[in-house]
Amino acid sequence: MQVKGQSSAADKMEVNQAKQEHLLALKVMRLTKPTLFTNMPVTCEDRDLPGDLFVRLMKDDPSTVKGAETLILGEMLTLPQNFGNIFLGETFSSYISVHNDSNQVVKDILVKADLQTSSQRLNLSASNSAVSELKPECCIDDVIHHEVKEIGTHILVCAVSYTTQTGEKLYFRKFFKFQVLKPLDVKTKFYNAETDEVFLEAQIQNITTSPMFMEKVSLEPSMMYNVTELNSVSSSSESESTFGRMSYLQPLDTRQYLYCLKPKPEFAEKAVVIKGVTVIGKLDIVWKTNLGERGRLQTSQLQRMAPGYGDVRLSLELIPDTVSLEEPFDITCKITNCSERTMDLVLEMCNTRSVHWCGVSGRQLGKLTPNASLSIPLKLLSSVQGLQSISGLRLTDTFLKRTYEYDDIAQVCVVCPYTSPES
Amino acid sequence: MQDMINGAGETLDAAVPSQTDPTEDSFREESIDLDAEAFVSPQDDSSHFESLIDKLNDQMMESVMISDSPNSEEEDNEEEKIVQVDDKRETVAPDDPKPEAPKTQDTALEMDTDTPPKDEAVPVCTIFSQGVQPKAQALIPDGFQPTLVKSPSFTIGNTETPNKLVPQVCQPSPSLSKFFTDSSTVNPASDFFDSFTTSTSFISISNPNAASPKTAAPPESPLLSAPTAAGTYFTPVATKPQVSPVEPMSQLQAVFPSGDDPFGSALITSELDKRYDAWLPSDDTRKVLISVATQQISPVQIDREQLAMPGLKFDNLQGDAVKDLMQRFLGDQAAMKRQVLSASSVEQNFLGLKRLISTKNWRAAVDLTGRLLTAHGQGYGKSGQPTNHTTDSLQLWFVRLSLLVKLNLFQNAELEFEPFGNLDHPNLYYEYYPTVYPGRRGSMVPFSMRVLHAELPQYLQKHQETLDRLHRIKSVCQKILSNLQEGLAEDGSMMNLTQDNRLASIQLWRSRLSRVMYSMANCLLMMKDYVLAVETYHSIIEYEPEQSVQLLSGMGRIFLQIGDIRTAEKYFQDVEKACQSKGETPNEDTSVLMNRAFVYLSQNNYADAHTCFSSVLKLDPKNPVASNNAAVCLLYLGRLKESLGQLESLVHKDPALYLHESVLFNLTTMYELESSRSTQKKQALLEATACREGDSFNVQCLKLV
Repeated sequence: MQVKGQSSAADKMEVNQAKQEHLLALKVMRLTKPTLFTNMPVTCEDRDLPGDLFVRLMKDDPSTVKGAETLILGEMLTLPQNFGNIFLGETFSSYISVHNDSNQVVKDILVKADLQTSSQRLNLSASNSAVSELKPECCIDDVIHHEVKEIGTHILVCAVSYTTQTGEKLYFRKFFKFQVLKPLDVKTKFYNAETDEVFLEAQIQNITTSPMFMEKVSLEPSMMYNVTELNSVSSSSESESTFGRMSYLQPLDTRQYLYCLKPKPEFAEKAVVIKGVTVIGKLDIVWKTNLGERGRLQTSQLQRMAPGYGDVRLSLELIPDTVSLEEPFDITCKITNCSERTMDLVLEMCNTRSVHWCGVSGRQLGKLTPNASLSIPLKLLSSVQGLQSISGLRLTDTFLKRTYEYDDIAQVCVVCPYTSPES
Repeated sequence: MQDMINGAGETLDAAVPSQTDPTEDSFREESIDLDAEAFVSPQDDSSHFESLIDKLNDQMMESVMISDSPNSEEEDNEEEKIVQVDDKRETVAPDDPKPEAPKTQDTALEMDTDTPPKDEAVPVCTIFSQGVQPKAQALIPDGFQPTLVKSPSFTIGNTETPNKLVPQVCQPSPSLSKFFTDSSTVNPASDFFDSFTTSTSFISISNPNAASPKTAAPPESPLLSAPTAAGTYFTPVATKPQVSPVEPMSQLQAVFPSGDDPFGSALITSELDKRYDAWLPSDDTRKVLISVATQQISPVQIDREQLAMPGLKFDNLQGDAVKDLMQRFLGDQAAMKRQVLSASSVEQNFLGLKRLISTKNWRAAVDLTGRLLTAHGQGYGKSGQPTNHTTDSLQLWFVRLSLLVKLNLFQNAELEFEPFGNLDHPNLYYEYYPTVYPGRRGSMVPFSMRVLHAELPQYLQKHQETLDRLHRIKSVCQKILSNLQEGLAEDGSMMNLTQDNRLASIQLWRSRLSRVMYSMANCLLMMKDYVLAVETYHSIIEYEPEQSVQLLSGMGRIFLQIGDIRTAEKYFQDVEKACQSKGETPNEDTSVLMNRAFVYLSQNNYADAHTCFSSVLKLDPKNPVASNNAAVCLLYLGRLKESLGQLESLVHKDPALYLHESVLFNLTTMYELESSRSTQKKQALLEATACREGDSFNVQCLKLV
């Protein structure tokens, strides 16, 4: 067949002088990881018609696991059968072979492999020096590797130039196009705690078609924060992942990672007054698939809109979690001036259906300079059982005659101490 | 707001400040979407890129192909280019704009590759083969794609007239017809033995009694009153007047060693039968069987719906793909040299069948089972017609269906399995035939056939069905084991078993249970439910402690497949411990080395992996897996010629070990990578295969077509 093809190509050359048969052939094969051969056990018992025939056939089959022929996952490696998918963050490896198909020695062979993406062109060849000669039936081999950093169309451009025995300089190129796909879908969500802590919830979805082992999903915080990963439960000896022992993601599975970010002490004071966008950090994700095929991605800097505190921020420094019904309890509020000017504040306390404030409402708190804060202990009681929201604080700036309302500042659980049989 | 995911190490652009309200609950999309701008190449060849829409479409199609004849070539001198599915339009020659290919080619491409990428795990592209190969089902994740071979009559379906079969049906030799009568012979002489023996026919064949002249069953037999009662013994079509029972029987007797003590062996057989045939029918079936046994009901009165009435669904497979390929590539003359056994060239009985199986002529063997079943009255088109089963007919079905599965003809197997339902019809139990098998109890369906029946759906992507069936078998096995442990007989009846028999029975049923667990674990692995698969493999160790090394290594490989190298290493350490505790033997040493090699491979360390595989070969020079894997490592190290040379010499030196589809596949892949003359080299492989392999050889691994 091949011979026929070549002779007809030669015919064509006569007809069309522009077309030329090349002495060298260029072949390219993507080197994804090899796969393990799986076999299909069909067994019978000695008393069945085939007797030991099936057993013997399986024992003689080189791809079965000797001694455990019924195990389908064998040890025989097979080369990749197709190009497969390639995903952002993975490494593209490829075998490039230039073979001398002719019967003459070819000189000064230069093989160049470039990768053209939508934004740049990279040279991937290991060496850029020419091979002085190539005998018939010999080949020049090169294995190229490239970590894919762009999505979309990539074109591998292989160029071969050489000199024939007659001194003719020849040149040809081949193009191999492939698409780089997106492997993961990452969604994030921030929660601002009453303290200055920020919780980050990241949903990571495997949008490839094969299972993925998540080797590392970590949050690299920006310089302002310390991070605690909340994805494992540590017992006495070792910590166990919240995702169970097998840390892999099936296609289209989503996993939620949780991180707690705390401002570093030196930034803690500043954090109080931070407004607008802050950089939280970035997620670093390393995964592996078939036989250790590795991929790595980082998100861009994750940013968070700091909650708007307005001009005056009221936060809680102390509050009990559980209180008794109709018994007064203490809380400590912290009032911070987040504005650029000095304020003169008056505190009013309004009762709600369940919360009753003790003490005088409408008391003067005095002047508060920008960025300064003061702590005020307050007393209140609840007349309703259950989880109660603390609301009804009003701060009025007498300079500007502006009132700030603070509702739903925190929650306490109100229990009735008399119904409990123990007490 | 949208954050861009960038390749690690890339410098990150400042993202757009977030305007999101902090209290907003909805998730923000971290989109990695294609940015329209990203497609505008900074170079001036941006004009070659089509509009963004086209780009997106292009991406959806995944028609990426790396091939030895690439998408575009400046020197377009290859004849075969016509078959390529390529899209020249998309190929960018940055400093040498190419004229656009005719639009017609584009449309062809769309048609071929328009499959939505999401519903198919297998990528559309192939490395070497031109065009998009039909990847109907990836039956085994890493296996080769089977092709369904249908016989012409099969595709035509049931409308086929049975007449067409007559010539074939007439072929069974006299010995065959004789064969079937043996187990059902009821004559006064054998009555005595039958009450004990009720042996299977292979054994009864060796028994002098079995040679007793065949006669139609006594008229009072309830079987005879069934519409096709005669068919129990002779199918009407199959009956040939010149049947001479004596002559073939003597042949058979010559082949089977004759039992020296019929009485003693009969007792042993009866115990064995009980042990092997034990099964727990469903309540409905049990009721029917009890009423048959107590003669409250005659089998004739039983509703047909409740009976298994199988029949062939296609007549023959014939064909020898190796020969067809030879004809195509090497010419008729070369093809003439190919000699394989066919269904007609062997004895028309179990012996011939075994010969076909052991010579790997499974297609011919399937044909022969078809003939034998036709002679039994369960031939083509007989499905749904009342029939009687015998031990032999069910064994034939088992062999036939096993071979269909081995040949990857899953749909055919499923069709023919269908009339058997859940393998629980009353007429699949010995109790249903009190006259033919007096005193014999239990299931006629061999246990292995139940396993096969359970395993079949998974090959047709119905994994859940497979698991359901396996769980049903497992619960029966467990029930039987608990019966035995409670001092009862297998089926729960109060029967005294000798201690030896009880232990033997427990052993048998434990091994059956472990076989079912293996199937479950395998099925779970195919489903990619790795957690359960590993758990199940773990539990098998309890039943098969001598396989612990293989099982632990296998589990380690599962983790490597997922990409969890650390856990895999833990399993491999367990293997090493297990080996040490047993005292190192060479074989166990090889599994330790082999595992180490796989870990290196997973760390992209092909050089050390190669060293490990080579040291396995030092211990065990004839280890085909190690030699193949060592050659694969060489390729990844950029040493194509060496790798190729090693594999090639192995295949030629020791074809028995290396003419395996996985090795041949690797070899042909490397041929294609090596030069433009791969076809000739593949043809040489075809010739090598032709002298050794039977008609069941999977020619796809030669990648000639």
